[in-house]
Amino acid sequence: MSNKPIIKITNLWWKYEGRKNWALKNINLEIYPGEFIAIVGPNESGKTTLAMSMNGLIPNNYKGFMKGDVIVAGMDTKKYSTGDISKKVGFVFSDPESQFLTMTVEEEIAFGLENLGLPVEEIEKRIKWAMKITGLSEEFLEKPPYELSGGQKQRVAIAAVIAMKPEVLILDEPTSMLDPIGKTEVLNVLKELKRSYNATIIVIEHRLEDIAPLANRMILIYNGEILKDAPPKEFFDDIDFLLKHYVFPPEAMVYIDKLRKFGIYEGSIPLTFDESVKAVRESIRGITK
Amino acid sequence: MSSEKNAVIKVENVSFTYPDGTVALVNVDLEIYDREFVAFIGQNGSGKTTLAKLIAGLLKPTEGRVIVYGMDTRKASIHQLATHVGYVFQNPDHQLFNMTVYDEVAFGPRNLMLPEEEVRKRVMESIKIVGLSEEYLNESPFFLPKGLRQRVAIASILALRPKTIIVDEPTTGQDFKQSIEIMDFLKHLNKLGHTIIIITHEMEIVARYADRTVVLANGRKILDEPTRIAFTRTDVLAKAFVKPPQITRLAQALTDLGFRRDILTVDEMVEDTKRVLERNRKYRRR
Repeated sequence: MSNKPIIKITNLWWKYEGRKNWALKNINLEIYPGEFIAIVGPNESGKTTLAMSMNGLIPNNYKGFMKGDVIVAGMDTKKYSTGDISKKVGFVFSDPESQFLTMTVEEEIAFGLENLGLPVEEIEKRIKWAMKITGLSEEFLEKPPYELSGGQKQRVAIAAVIAMKPEVLILDEPTSMLDPIGKTEVLNVLKELKRSYNATIIVIEHRLEDIAPLANRMILIYNGEILKDAPPKEFFDDIDFLLKHYVFPPEAMVYIDKLRKFGIYEGSIPLTFDESVKAVRESIRGITK
Repeated sequence: MSSEKNAVIKVENVSFTYPDGTVALVNVDLEIYDREFVAFIGQNGSGKTTLAKLIAGLLKPTEGRVIVYGMDTRKASIHQLATHVGYVFQNPDHQLFNMTVYDEVAFGPRNLMLPEEEVRKRVMESIKIVGLSEEYLNESPFFLPKGLRQRVAIASILALRPKTIIVDEPTTGQDFKQSIEIMDFLKHLNKLGHTIIIITHEMEIVARYADRTVVLANGRKILDEPTRIAFTRTDVLAKAFVKPPQITRLAQALTDLGFRRDILTVDEMVEDTKRVLERNRKYRRR
């Protein structure tokens, strides 16, 4: 990881027009190239507002009052348009319906590329690549959006964004409107992105069971402030702190934390299901040996 | 099963095909008993919502029949059905359409031609049950946060005083705190005497709240058991692409140490750990 942040937020305050309270309060954050970051926190805590301030939607497309600076991929969001910033920062919304613009999957993915003025061969190459990463086979190219499942639509939305090869990819609750099959599909795309695409990825997510093992850094936002910013091991080590702020860790973590309080388990909270099984088995065997 | 159980809803060999030819349900039999709390689970397209809409009388069976509180849904009037079974849509915005919260909640009772005095009484009663403050009554439901919009949607159903309430995906898009609030509220209605049916993808919610779980796959009912038993049938659940809650799976991965296979919550798992440790100590002493 390089030493120069790709996103640098300094003393950021934001208030939506007509609201009494600040949506973001004195946010300071540096995000480095190649990081995989999960942003968590209850609804209305400022997660989406923070995400929108990283791609220029705030302050450019929303009315409100801003203090502080956001520099993304070298651009000050106050001085560049959302269009310019979106070439470097891709954004995927939670509702895949809301972002479909065209009649077929191919047109949908090509749309942004044509706007970039790329040559046809390059467009075709990128469509192929984006479909491969999102696990969409060629038969999808001619399909209209209404023939797709929720998970497929969301994968098309991700393909359309990554085809632009953004340096930063922000996904705002990409699985929250999907059924379990759709959730798994999108999660597999996130895994593939982490493995093979050298971008900075920022995911806003409620369900932590699947995201915790992928992230290298977890950020808790509560009431417009960053309350915790740590690697997953450290982030999940204080379960009571998370519960107190209405973040619900995976059940196995909550259970193992209780075992630790009873002195049955020692050590840090395991991040994956398999590690949890192993941890419980070893501590119970250790006691009853 | 005791013979005193009173089946308030009977789905008898029901099949349903949408006008475009999509077969949504095939030969489903189901009985829902008075004051039960039941979860319908399965993937999108499995038939859960179709089954719920058939029970609410919003759809009529292509084959078979649905009897709610003694009425065949094909013959009963909308008024009769709506005062017995209420259906809360997944997206409250598909249901809300009035200019104020008051008019929204009053809409159903007014349609029943109740005198305005009785309408008002029911509106006040319903918003009190869902915990909506009176100051919202003259606001537009559309500008409320989603959690509150959903409460307005539920209040508008409650105002008809249906005995059974069906809620389609009550927790989708809600955070942890909001989910618990909504579910605790449905449990409260259940204790007041309402029969509750939820449609959900959240297995932790099913484990904590539903007494009984009905699993659908490809339009067929493939499992119908008390929730505790349902989550032990992992082979059948896999056919519906459903996994039990994480804590249940953890217990099931540790049965070789003596853990029960039917754990539903973290607290139960903690209790079972004490039992497992005690048992293993006894063996060691022998």
